[in-house]
Amino acid sequence: MMRIVWLILFMLPLKERFGVDENASDLPAHIIKKIEKEVSKFYDSSDFVLETRIDAPETQIKSPFLVQGRLFEIMDNSKSLGYAFYGVAPSRTDTFDYLLILDQNFVLTKAKILIYREDYGGEISSKRWLSQFYEKPLDTQFQVGESISGISGATISVRSMTQSVNVVFSFLKNQNILHESSD
Amino acid sequence: MQKLAPAIALLFLTFNLNAQTSNTPYTTLSDSIQLQINGYQRILQNLQGIPTGVTLGGYAEATYNQPTKGDGEMDIQRLVLLFGYKFDERVQFVTEIEYEHVKEVYVEQAFVNYAVSNGLNIRGGLMLVPMGIINEYHEPTTFNGVERPSLDNKLVPTTWREMGLGVAGRIDAWSMRYQAYLFNGFLSYDGSKGTLSGSSGLRGGRQKGAQSTLDHINYSAKFDYYGVPGLRLGLSGYFGKTQAVEEAPELGTIIGVSMIGADFRYNHRKWAARGQWIYANLSDTAVYNQQTGSDLGSALKGYYTEIAYNVLPLANRQRLVTFLRYENFNTHHDVAGALLPNPNFHRKEWTFGWSYHLSQGTVFKVDYQNKATAGNQKQNQFNVGLGVWF
Repeated sequence: MMRIVWLILFMLPLKERFGVDENASDLPAHIIKKIEKEVSKFYDSSDFVLETRIDAPETQIKSPFLVQGRLFEIMDNSKSLGYAFYGVAPSRTDTFDYLLILDQNFVLTKAKILIYREDYGGEISSKRWLSQFYEKPLDTQFQVGESISGISGATISVRSMTQSVNVVFSFLKNQNILHESSD
Repeated sequence: MQKLAPAIALLFLTFNLNAQTSNTPYTTLSDSIQLQINGYQRILQNLQGIPTGVTLGGYAEATYNQPTKGDGEMDIQRLVLLFGYKFDERVQFVTEIEYEHVKEVYVEQAFVNYAVSNGLNIRGGLMLVPMGIINEYHEPTTFNGVERPSLDNKLVPTTWREMGLGVAGRIDAWSMRYQAYLFNGFLSYDGSKGTLSGSSGLRGGRQKGAQSTLDHINYSAKFDYYGVPGLRLGLSGYFGKTQAVEEAPELGTIIGVSMIGADFRYNHRKWAARGQWIYANLSDTAVYNQQTGSDLGSALKGYYTEIAYNVLPLANRQRLVTFLRYENFNTHHDVAGALLPNPNFHRKEWTFGWSYHLSQGTVFKVDYQNKATAGNQKQNQFNVGLGVWF
């Protein structure tokens, strides 16, 4: 019996064993800095702390369109301002990093490409194009050509970003954190 | 064979359509995502979390051209293998090795890209000259028609690439992309004969980075604007002088080249349209023709426009696109000196056909071309092609 208990304990991630958010700062410093800069710009304030709520959702989502991810809650003292989702998705020959800022009700209010590494497909960084994702509820599934217009010459990255937002939306929709916050 | 060709194509098309309808329709989102993975994404998955690494890719075009008069031709027109190596977050090397017609080997691109910031890259090496649409975006799944537009052969000599150095980047707030390069130019005289001609304009002068001669630097730039949903506009410019082997300035085998281009691509739901306009002014062609015995025009001008419609539902993984393209271009739009314009260099071409995208990276194409000249030469041609891009 003890053996089974130990086995289960071993299979649980560290965080759940000890309740320690040990992953909170393992993103590269320049990425954290970029995220903080965007959040600060969006709320026009630097009085906030990013607290990791869901780490490595890609291990659960298992989609090629989400290479890496993390959900932060944006806390001002004990008050929640909203959420920031950091994601990494594939471009043609590389990956790009993006940030989604969602309000307390998980409505997307801002999207930004934090780092676009290759030249090809970088057009998705356009503020105008990214604004197509705004103000849509989490059960939205975007489709290129329908709700999201394509960009000629950036087809791969347009699809990648759209699908990445789709998998993040459907993942967040099924999270407890969402139901807790909407109570 | 001529009569058989359309029948074979039709059979192939019907077969594929049947295959498509017999596919199990997917119902959930995750299924559709899984189905849309292709080669480059698989490679990226393998490279997950690895900040440096090798990228493999490529494209290929197999074509069958059947003129209504004369022999047909089957060809592996191009097989291009892409290798990329990422040294770190900022420095990447990209090269494309091209096999043309199975036996000729070229390097299509080979450059180092240094990403200074999100909006600024510095790059140097053998690069594509940004002029119009096709020279930069020439993978077979990105354009309709078995053959590239003829204008992008005679006016813009695709695949036009030279050695150079420049900057490329984006201004995200303006939805704009910019490119500006210093390039080596066309070779107009190889030491024994002229390389430029009335029929194919500057095409024969491409040096492609092969022991190329450099006398004069050429300037090239392109701006793209994509701030209106579905629309992309491009404005290109290329200015400079040609190069000549062992040229004495008074010999007159060097000409001035100024080319400008404007292009658009528009997509709305199942509709797509694109067009391109090119004008090139060549100076000192009268002397050049005199010295080399060539018949090079002093102005080249032309345009094409295309409309396309996807007959399959947007939610489908596959696309079946029908298109119609009209091209009108003249490599003797103007001539200098004693040269008389050749009306057969003023071409008017209609192309009608289908592009059947079996997946995101595979396309089967079939089209019919009606080619005519202002000199009343006529030729019709049937084309079948298979293209892949991964």
